[in-house]
Amino acid sequence: MIKAVETEVWGTGGNQGYNPPPIPYVFTKVPNTRLIGKGIRTNRGEQRAWRAPNHPQACFLTMAALEDAAAALKMDALQFFLKNVSLTDRAEVYTEELNKAAELIGYHQKAHLRGDPKPGPVKRGLGIAMHTWGGRGHPSECDVTIHPDGAVEAKLGSQDLGTGTRTVIRMIVAETLGLPLDAVDVRLGKNDYPRSGASGGSTTIGGVSVSSRKAATEALNALLSTVAPRLGTGADNLEATAGVIRQADNPGNKIPWKEACRLLGATPITKRGVNNPGESQAAHLIDQGVGGVQMADVSVDVETGVVTMNEMVAVQDCGLIINLKTAESQVFGALIMGITYSLYEEAVYDSFTGRMLNADMEFYRLAGIKDVGSLKVHMMTGEGYDERGVIGLGEPPVISPGAAISNAVANALGLRVPELPLTPDRVLTALQKGGKLV
Amino acid sequence: MKSFEYVAPKSLKEATGMLAETWGDTEILAGGTDLVTGLKQGITEPKRVVSLRNLPELRGIKSEQGGVRLGSMTTLAELSESSILKREFPSLVTAAKGVSSPQIMSVGTVGGDLCQRPRCWYFRNGYGLFAKQGENSLARTGENRYHAIFATDGPALFVSPSGLAPAFIALGATITVSGPNGRSRKIAAADFFQIPKSQDERETVLRPNEILTEIFIPSAGLRNATYEIRHRHGLDWPYVTTSVAFKVKDGVASDAKVVLGHVAPTPWMARDASNTLNGARIDDNLASKSAEAATKGANPLSQNAYKVPMLKAAVRRAVLAAAAG
Repeated sequence: MIKAVETEVWGTGGNQGYNPPPIPYVFTKVPNTRLIGKGIRTNRGEQRAWRAPNHPQACFLTMAALEDAAAALKMDALQFFLKNVSLTDRAEVYTEELNKAAELIGYHQKAHLRGDPKPGPVKRGLGIAMHTWGGRGHPSECDVTIHPDGAVEAKLGSQDLGTGTRTVIRMIVAETLGLPLDAVDVRLGKNDYPRSGASGGSTTIGGVSVSSRKAATEALNALLSTVAPRLGTGADNLEATAGVIRQADNPGNKIPWKEACRLLGATPITKRGVNNPGESQAAHLIDQGVGGVQMADVSVDVETGVVTMNEMVAVQDCGLIINLKTAESQVFGALIMGITYSLYEEAVYDSFTGRMLNADMEFYRLAGIKDVGSLKVHMMTGEGYDERGVIGLGEPPVISPGAAISNAVANALGLRVPELPLTPDRVLTALQKGGKLV
Repeated sequence: MKSFEYVAPKSLKEATGMLAETWGDTEILAGGTDLVTGLKQGITEPKRVVSLRNLPELRGIKSEQGGVRLGSMTTLAELSESSILKREFPSLVTAAKGVSSPQIMSVGTVGGDLCQRPRCWYFRNGYGLFAKQGENSLARTGENRYHAIFATDGPALFVSPSGLAPAFIALGATITVSGPNGRSRKIAAADFFQIPKSQDERETVLRPNEILTEIFIPSAGLRNATYEIRHRHGLDWPYVTTSVAFKVKDGVASDAKVVLGHVAPTPWMARDASNTLNGARIDDNLASKSAEAATKGANPLSQNAYKVPMLKAAVRRAVLAAAAG
């Protein structure tokens, strides 16, 4: 078991202040820890938020040190992580995720201790990393309107970054009203819509899912009150499903949605739903705190320094998943972004002129389709996950790739390349130095 | 981008007549993949751009007695799909495929590949071919990871960007250029490139009013191969390229040429590496010896010593690939 973690880090926020990354990361119950962080101001632009601020750094430094420790003990890295999993906040979840990731990547068939023993210039290795993130949901307000012609609108001053926010809101409102998806019109992105938070901190899904669900529920309740006399029963005994409103204990007594809405006369129903994050969390509508495990399988050519991704596996929990496809897409995207920062992405500045030399897509490299290898994503669902409520997913899956890929390269080569991105020149330099830092 | 006059003449004579006698006043547009970037970056601001698009005689691959003739406007895609070239000059096909972007390959031309300007990021950011601010050589003191490891004692520290040039040189190709009034001259591919001595010179011996029209590759029965090392598996510039060509009789090599790319301001003839191969039996051991010899004279800058071991890998693999032919 890990008894102590001592850390000394240097970093820069450009011309602004600096917060050291939270180390030890994930393994927060290590009994003895010390963290010394030194900020260095530079003549560069101020730091800006990047997906999961400070977490990829904390993850890289912690997981690399753990993997180095396992290698020094001549112990299998997965076994080492599992042995110390009780030092995390969510030992059961991480154990399940570690085992799932190992199964998906074929860990037990492929793993070897540090240093690929096979002959030839191309060395293969596996690497593991674990991450965490908060989530919860930002304050959000949503108006849902049911029109007398049966049309439904949801309006909120939120935004869709391309991650499926619009899809999820539409699903929630449609399901609440018992309507097909195309019956709901979602409108985002105008100042005169109700306030909803900015997208950041992986808080959008938690915010908008509660506000839209509440608004749709209240609008429906108002409609049910109008419809109840027509069906000769109380509003409490009505349900909206499959495009009709019907008596719950006598489903034959029903009225089609459009006909029900016509009873509104000339006045549409508009109800506002509000997400108050604290209350919603207490009611288990949303939650915070997710985990994830990622494993990388790489090949490294020791004569050219080129790292090739064979496979990357991501296992991720995020509470109740509303739309599996868009959730998985978030994780696939994060893996590609993660491979990019692990192997390619770097801003190069000339120290004499202060000029950024690669402000173009030529030498500011992003991973292309040939660079990412095979990707597998597994979302944790079911008992233990679904009842936690909705939790944001935007940031967590981009945290682990740097650490997992660096660990895989170390496992392949038999030594640590102590930087990211893992460019061929750095790999060759590390090999020349035999794994020593200077 | 500054405004310029665009012309697309219908004859070669007309085209050369529209070119100025000094660099920079006019530029030649072939595929445009390099020129247009340069125009946007402001590293060239011509008064006139002369397009070669209406000169069909500059296109095509022709098999002739004694060799193959390549029009300068032949695209990299056409080159890489040519069955003649695949059979006889795989080193050239590998080099063209190394460009790896279907978009660039389908418009980029053979002549454009040879005449493109360096990718040095100081040059592209406006600090000139010699990457200078005042008297200070930014490339020497600054970010030179992608720069030259040979001929680094002079002011030019960029690397020759051509993907095809090492293969053409190794294969003993000849380049034809056409000047004013239909005067043309032939230049050995090995003599086509030069290290500019001042900012007014360019990286080839082409004159401002000349157009590269064709390349002739002799059929000399050479085994040949190119090996390129690059960071990304898709579109990327190589760190190092090696093209080799040699004859093999009874397992013994002769007439060997080992030519390196992206390691010097011109394609670099590795004479010691070539000599190592001549008269010897090609095997793993000889390939390694040739690779070691290829690094002779390397004088890396502050950040690019890694190119030396990389170069060895490229030479060794190219020699073995050619031998396996």
